[in-house]
Amino acid sequence: MLDIMKLAVFLLVVSAVAAFGVGYVNSMTAPVIDKQALQMKTDSFKEVCPQGEEVKNETERYLKKDANPLIKEVNVAYKGGVPVGVIYTIEPKGFGGPISILAGFDIGAGKVTAIKVLSQTETPGLGAKAKDPSFQDRYKGKSAEADLEVSKTPPTKDTQIQAITASTITSKAVTSGVNAARNHFAGNFVK
Amino acid sequence: MQDYFIIVISAVLINNIVLSQFLGICPFLGVSKKLSAALGMGAAVTFVLVLAGLLTWFFQIYILNPFNIGYMQTVAFILIIGALVQFVEMVIKKYSPGLYKALGIYLPLITTNCAVLGVAILNIQKDFSLVKTLVHSTSHAVGFSLALILMAGIRERLESADIPKCMEGVPISLVIASLMSIAFLGFSGLI
Amino acid sequence: MSLLQEFTKGIIKENPLFRLVLGTCPSLAITTSVDNGLGMGVAFTGVLLGSNIVISAMRKIIPDSIRIPVYIVVIASFVTMTDLLMHAYTPAMYKALGIFIPLIVVNCIIIGRAEAFANRNSIVPSVLDALGMGVGFTLALVLLCTFREVLGAGTFLGFRLLPESRAAIMMILPPGGFVTLGCILGFLNKMQSKTA
Repeated sequence: MLDIMKLAVFLLVVSAVAAFGVGYVNSMTAPVIDKQALQMKTDSFKEVCPQGEEVKNETERYLKKDANPLIKEVNVAYKGGVPVGVIYTIEPKGFGGPISILAGFDIGAGKVTAIKVLSQTETPGLGAKAKDPSFQDRYKGKSAEADLEVSKTPPTKDTQIQAITASTITSKAVTSGVNAARNHFAGNFVK
Repeated sequence: MQDYFIIVISAVLINNIVLSQFLGICPFLGVSKKLSAALGMGAAVTFVLVLAGLLTWFFQIYILNPFNIGYMQTVAFILIIGALVQFVEMVIKKYSPGLYKALGIYLPLITTNCAVLGVAILNIQKDFSLVKTLVHSTSHAVGFSLALILMAGIRERLESADIPKCMEGVPISLVIASLMSIAFLGFSGLI
Repeated sequence: MSLLQEFTKGIIKENPLFRLVLGTCPSLAITTSVDNGLGMGVAFTGVLLGSNIVISAMRKIIPDSIRIPVYIVVIASFVTMTDLLMHAYTPAMYKALGIFIPLIVVNCIIIGRAEAFANRNSIVPSVLDALGMGVGFTLALVLLCTFREVLGAGTFLGFRLLPESRAAIMMILPPGGFVTLGCILGFLNKMQSKTA
């Protein structure tokens, strides 16, 4: 019995020292990690909606129960107290799982400002090209009035987006997400 | 319902834990020489993986989260898994000597099977509910057993094949795993 | 055995990945690009160094019957610290390696070195052993990465060597990992049987 107690106490002491060490490192790194996450968020907001000065999360106000389930978050960008842009977080299903995308819209112009793929699990070298600027730029400046569609050949109409070669499913997924956001934007923010 | 279906298909076939996530390679290579051993290992891993998945989920939700010590996750989970494996071994030994004879030698190996810890961490990362955790862990366990049993079936036939001396054993198994992995790639896009 | 040999044995003679075939999971999963391989190698070496030092320092007071749980606690703590430090200071690498950082904890090499070496030797040889094994593992990872990145993406550390259309994507997908490791092991076996 005494032996078991000894072992238990030894293990307890080791664990306590270990927990103390880990806790110390955590207290050192936690602020850095938080700051970074925040920085990353504001940076990507700035990227898709450069005209906004202050961004507020207004998901609860704008996302009604019957809204498209692809839309996860609605952030509104203000400039001098006036809403100038909307940033949607959308999560359509791609080839390898959900693709998380930020889509920014300009309220004044009624257009897509930019999109940015935050995370994806698409096939490397194929669908994963969705996160390349060359693909994301294809959405820039598209009007928020009509649905966008994917075309496999160079686009002939303004509402067409050229698909990534050999990755039509990924391209269609991204477009369906942008369309969901576009629809919501047209219904709620364009007068 | 659809959610669950997607979790099952994706865990068993598309993101098969061995062939596309690379977890649990050691037992996959080590215990796939005989079909009977593969069955035993598969059963033991399934049992521990599901139990560990549930236990770690409860621990995370009711202990780590409320006390805000999420950073102790790795330490806590590996200890839980280690203790669980020991406990299961003792229980089986006492109450079912037949089962112990069949599974016994595989149980200690499971503590260092990264599939178990990997799935436990994935459950938390994906923010699963209890039921989803159960479904997710079970599907991954089934996926592991499937890969292991298929591999053992192929390797038993390989016994009579004429392969270069230097490729015998682990090297040829890795090449086979590669071909299996190509076959499993065909499942992506299923959902 | 001289101290120098403690260091060099991990690089070739007892290379943990190629000779002992341990730690295969991370070696296959994250070796899609050379910088990932280097990052994983450094993280791994750091953990191994820490755990070898602590376990070697404590080897006389750890009761034999509970040595494995003690090793696990020590290793898991170092892994968590590495995880937090990488999250804070190398966020891009942290994202690329993902779940395989916490999974260093179940890397058989580390607990294997604790049991087979650090538990029986004093601190200086243990440090050299950890560094040798770490360097050996890192070199093995980098070799795997080089094959996969050059053939699969046509680049090396981001520099383009082959035109993109010539790259075989299969090599950076899961099958490429298995087949590369299989061929390297086969080749090493061949070399060994020739010299032996």
